[in-house]
Amino acid sequence: MKPGTRWTQFWTVLSFAALAAVLVPVFVIDAPWPAAARDYVEAQGVREIGSYNLVSAVYLGYRIFDTVGEIIVLIASVIGTVAVFSAAGAVLAEGYEIDLRNMSDREKQEIMDDSSFTLPGEKRHTHALRTHLLEVVTGVLGPVVVLFGFYIMVYGHSSPGGGFQGGVIIASGIVFLALGNRMESSTMLTRPPVLERIESAAFLVLALASFGGMFTGTGFFGDFLKEFALYPAGFMMIMKVSIGLIVGAGIGYLCIAMVGREIT
Amino acid sequence: MMNPENLIFLPVALPLAGAAAAFCAKAWCTGSLAKITEYGGALIGLALPWAFLAAVLPVIATGGVVEGVIGRWYEGIGITFRFDGLSWLVMVLIYSVTTAAWIYSLGAGPRNASFSAVYLILVSALSATIMTTDVFNLFVCLEMAGITSYVLIASSGKPGAALASFSYLLISASSMVFFLLGVYGLYRLTGALSYEGIAQGLQSLPDGGGTAAVVSLALMIAAVSVRVAVMPVSGWLPDAHALAPHAVSAVLSGVLIKVPLFALARVMLLMPAGMQAGALIGYAGAFTALFGVILALSQKDAKRLLAYHSISQIGYVVSAWGAAVHVGVTTPAGAALMAASFLHGLYHAMFKGLLFLSIGTTVDRTGQRDVYQLRGAARILRSGGERIPVTCICFFIGALAISAIPPFNGYVSKTALSHVLSGSFHYYLLTAAGVGTAASFIKLSRIYWPQKQGGEHSAARGRTPASVYISQLFLGGLCIAGGISASAVFAMVVNLLSASGAPVPEVAFYSSANMLKALLTVAAGLILFLLTATKKGGALLTTIRTRPRGFQDLFISFSLAAAVLVIWML
Repeated sequence: MKPGTRWTQFWTVLSFAALAAVLVPVFVIDAPWPAAARDYVEAQGVREIGSYNLVSAVYLGYRIFDTVGEIIVLIASVIGTVAVFSAAGAVLAEGYEIDLRNMSDREKQEIMDDSSFTLPGEKRHTHALRTHLLEVVTGVLGPVVVLFGFYIMVYGHSSPGGGFQGGVIIASGIVFLALGNRMESSTMLTRPPVLERIESAAFLVLALASFGGMFTGTGFFGDFLKEFALYPAGFMMIMKVSIGLIVGAGIGYLCIAMVGREIT
Repeated sequence: MMNPENLIFLPVALPLAGAAAAFCAKAWCTGSLAKITEYGGALIGLALPWAFLAAVLPVIATGGVVEGVIGRWYEGIGITFRFDGLSWLVMVLIYSVTTAAWIYSLGAGPRNASFSAVYLILVSALSATIMTTDVFNLFVCLEMAGITSYVLIASSGKPGAALASFSYLLISASSMVFFLLGVYGLYRLTGALSYEGIAQGLQSLPDGGGTAAVVSLALMIAAVSVRVAVMPVSGWLPDAHALAPHAVSAVLSGVLIKVPLFALARVMLLMPAGMQAGALIGYAGAFTALFGVILALSQKDAKRLLAYHSISQIGYVVSAWGAAVHVGVTTPAGAALMAASFLHGLYHAMFKGLLFLSIGTTVDRTGQRDVYQLRGAARILRSGGERIPVTCICFFIGALAISAIPPFNGYVSKTALSHVLSGSFHYYLLTAAGVGTAASFIKLSRIYWPQKQGGEHSAARGRTPASVYISQLFLGGLCIAGGISASAVFAMVVNLLSASGAPVPEVAFYSSANMLKALLTVAAGLILFLLTATKKGGALLTTIRTRPRGFQDLFISFSLAAAVLVIWML
């Protein structure tokens, strides 16, 4: 079928309508909400997992492998996206018939002016996409945001939060740091190789921790620290810190790869 | 550690640890240390699971089933994995092709640590897919396998590979939304995510959950069908498989489209409507086999031709699989159907993997992918330093196997399929597809025929690395071994799949009637090939090849297929 013809539009609408029509029974289920799993987690969650945040108890305890699966999806997509970026620069430029190497300074300046956020008063030679306001604010806030991300990550078992949430806040802190490096006060956290090292090391810890329970009788991804109960949510702490670091470093890396390429 | 409940997680845990090692090799190490760490990771992820499979075989062969809950939590709350005969067989399929393809990638690329890391994650996800007995975990495993395959397809860097990967991503991610909706429906009705919990919950409901349960199951089946590439939801496959790196194409065609199918068999048995769906999918499979081969015959790009054959061959697997689900896999007839279906899946993984690797080597060395242009490839390969024509021989082993010529493994599995399906509607479609397969491989094998006149193709510089030969010879050896040990392997598969000990059907693999049928199929294939070589035949093929294909068609066909499936199951 040729895209865009009236006939195709007819088929598209018809097929989507048919799918929507057959979905109706799933949305109008009137059976009572099942409560068995909820009641079990409510009654046993704190005792078994050591977490007062029962959402964390489910996704870092009972269903940890699902969480690890989603983390792996994130790792693979970061690797893939960065690989496509590094290959795509040339391909995209070719597709739009733009040759960056042979471009004159005036043409580059035009592209910069078109895409610049700067006010007329502050014409800049580098970092055309930024303003002084942005740099000062992000530079000051960056370390605070990273610290807050760590708090959310580490306290996920007793207050709202956890690895994913904390990790995303850490990632935004990293982006802040990358945007706010006006004073040349360099931080290692905005360098892609460093972020990649953090991500891979956290992934290795996660993979090796999965074996721990096999030796102590709690099974694959089991709580192998249960016997040495110094701290009730010890295994969960390993999981959420490594997940938080993977998310933070991975998304931070991705954002830096996206903003990092400058035309100058 | 030696507790069997722990051991069954090793095929998931080891490749995951290997992937982490490979990823660390990229980030932390340089030079030879990076190589050692990466290869060490691959050894952990691809070689050690073989030791596990060997160790656990005595338990499984006597009908043993090992179940384990991740983290040893309460069974209905945690995620349960089940390791039985089906899991063991599918893991043999996974590890034989992925090991060979990884060795191939050492020589022919893509050669870097992040490729190895993503590849090992894919292996781990596939192992988890076949073992899990939890609908939400099945969703996660399919997502893991999906995302890694999009990355691997795009890693070839060929023009169009990123786009092919992207359209696969969009259609499969959209269909997974409907899978999730199906998971929601079943959870809303029963409050359970494990297969057992859902089955029990549905039984306790009035009329077994009614329409909502059927629609939920149908959505899950439709979403998995996209991954399996049954027509009409196979439109994403040719581009993705043709443009991926050769090693990845072998894994995609050999493994990735089959594992979700056999994992789906566990889900289908949750409710009686699933058995109804099996019948429809079986018919779809038989039509897929025939239409897939017609499309394959019309292609001119060598790898795209192989990709369409993957659609056609998965049709063979699906037709017997659907029939098995329809009659129930615990009945003797169902066990035999399922065994034949799996056997063809396994053997297809081997010979199609071999074909992708040998054609990949050939097109790399000659720099020409057009079947109508490339001639004299055997000589070009020889001038490239290949004294013994390994690639050429391996291609012919694969081509003879897929065309079902004795004594190669494809003959065995197709004979088993004809035996269990004989007399049914599927049988005639599959026989017709067999003729087309023979014709299109006569067409493809012409690239190795000597050249008549000029038009020299220059070989690529440099030697072909040894790992390329090793992997090709490994798969070629498996193809021959599978053909020779026909009855023994078939009996073993039937025994492993039917825990209750169903009788093994007597299939006379090398009887004169079956050999004659193979001969007649090839003769008919030759006639069909000669017909397509005429002017009118060529024009017809061009029309089929250049038919308009749109991105929207993927979504239209998925929506219609899902709607039809729901109506059929109601």
